[in-house]
Amino acid sequence: MTAARLASIGLFLGLGLIWEIWVTISGVSSLLVPAPSAVLAVLWQGLTDGFLWPHIRVTFAETLLGFALGSIIGFAFGVLLSEVDVLRRVLWPYILASQVVPKLALGPIFIVWFGFGLTSIVIITALICFFPLLENTVTGLRSAPADQRDLFRMLGASRLQTLLRLKIPAGLPVILAGVRVSVVLAIVGAVVGEFISGGQGLGASIIAAQGMMDTTLMFALFIVITVMGMLFYQLTILAERWLLRRRQTGDEI
Amino acid sequence: MTDRARALTLQQVDFAYPGEAPILQDASLSLAQGDFHCLVGRSGCGKTTLLKIAAGLLRPTAGCVRIGDTILDGPSRQIGFVFQTPSLLDWRSVLDNVLLPISLHRSVTATDRARAMDLLALVGIDAHAQRYPCQMSGGQQSRVSLARALVTEPPFLLMDEPFAAVDAITREDLQNDLLRLTRAQGTTVLFVTHDIAEAVYLASHVSVMQSGRITRSLAIDVPERASGDSRYHPQAIRQCEEIKAALAPALGTVTP
Repeated sequence: MTAARLASIGLFLGLGLIWEIWVTISGVSSLLVPAPSAVLAVLWQGLTDGFLWPHIRVTFAETLLGFALGSIIGFAFGVLLSEVDVLRRVLWPYILASQVVPKLALGPIFIVWFGFGLTSIVIITALICFFPLLENTVTGLRSAPADQRDLFRMLGASRLQTLLRLKIPAGLPVILAGVRVSVVLAIVGAVVGEFISGGQGLGASIIAAQGMMDTTLMFALFIVITVMGMLFYQLTILAERWLLRRRQTGDEI
Repeated sequence: MTDRARALTLQQVDFAYPGEAPILQDASLSLAQGDFHCLVGRSGCGKTTLLKIAAGLLRPTAGCVRIGDTILDGPSRQIGFVFQTPSLLDWRSVLDNVLLPISLHRSVTATDRARAMDLLALVGIDAHAQRYPCQMSGGQQSRVSLARALVTEPPFLLMDEPFAAVDAITREDLQNDLLRLTRAQGTTVLFVTHDIAEAVYLASHVSVMQSGRITRSLAIDVPERASGDSRYHPQAIRQCEEIKAALAPALGTVTP
């Protein structure tokens, strides 16, 4: 473990301690700011008595489904738009417009179309994940150097071969950077989607806790969401490292 | 393949991008089988454009390129091309990079693999066959790209300042490797460089290019070529000076 990692953990513990002391001596209401010890107690209870798990499962499923759907479609569209120039010029303004619209504002209409619950939230999440993948795929597929593209022409490679064996592998670092952005946005999408349309899940639980003025539970839910987000992020980092293990990276040599 | 079918000819080639000043004007070259032809010129004189036209990567605005009697109308697999950068695929091993020209068209056989290993051995990096490009030096990468260009034994090899980015000592080794390999295969080579000494050492013919035109062509006639010492043979030095004089800006030609 590096010194920086230790310092990070130390900072976290230190801030928690200061917070705990401040809450105790200032006597601020736990309805406004709960003590970290109380939050941890609620979190522990929620995890052990099984109250939190169904919500975690729902949000996890929505995030994963939305992310997978949005990323796959974003990647596919990215490939299509960068290969067919006409299509890109025709469709780009529409795609851009669809991204400028705040997607959560579309939530109510999705509820009308798809009903409350999973489907609507997955679609909102997918819509949010779609654009980073699309944009990074379009950029990534252009990143193969001109010499390498000429090489494939000289070798008589077909268009499909050039795509599969040059453009996609060459663009992979950029595409994976898009995946990293998407995965973080996916959690935001799922949680906020639940604010609008969820009956279950971590976001829906935050709204329910707010209704009961249970600030401590809200904080406990923040922690769960944060941990889940960091887990997803770390998984993509690991996948990225594995996929790019052969490439030149700054810290390798 | 007869000797005649292995000749490469450029006939009065012009090239310009639409609406721009011409890059090439009336460039003609003729390479017989086994010729090692060097094209020398300053940066921006159109050498790379000429090479890309000879490769079929660019279409001339006038004139034509012939392989034997056939007019070249696009990239041809009879032509190997070595770029300024090694342009290896980072995500493939050295061996896979060398086999790329084959694996794009059919499945690789044990014979192909053995042949690629032989080529890697000839350029002295067979021990690194399973490594990846990012683990290799610039000179080693250049060797891999040379082996890749020769793995299909193309009758023609076009090279665009392939050794410009490596240090002087490595460059001499690479030049010797190149001469050995192309002589063994009887390859016809068109080699672009701005290094006069390199041109005289490698070539059987040198053409001088100035602002889009071939202004001078001469046969190189150095005894005991490529014996290692021929670089410093008085005849070689005299021909270097001759080319250098030809490269000096001609009086009266003002380029806008």
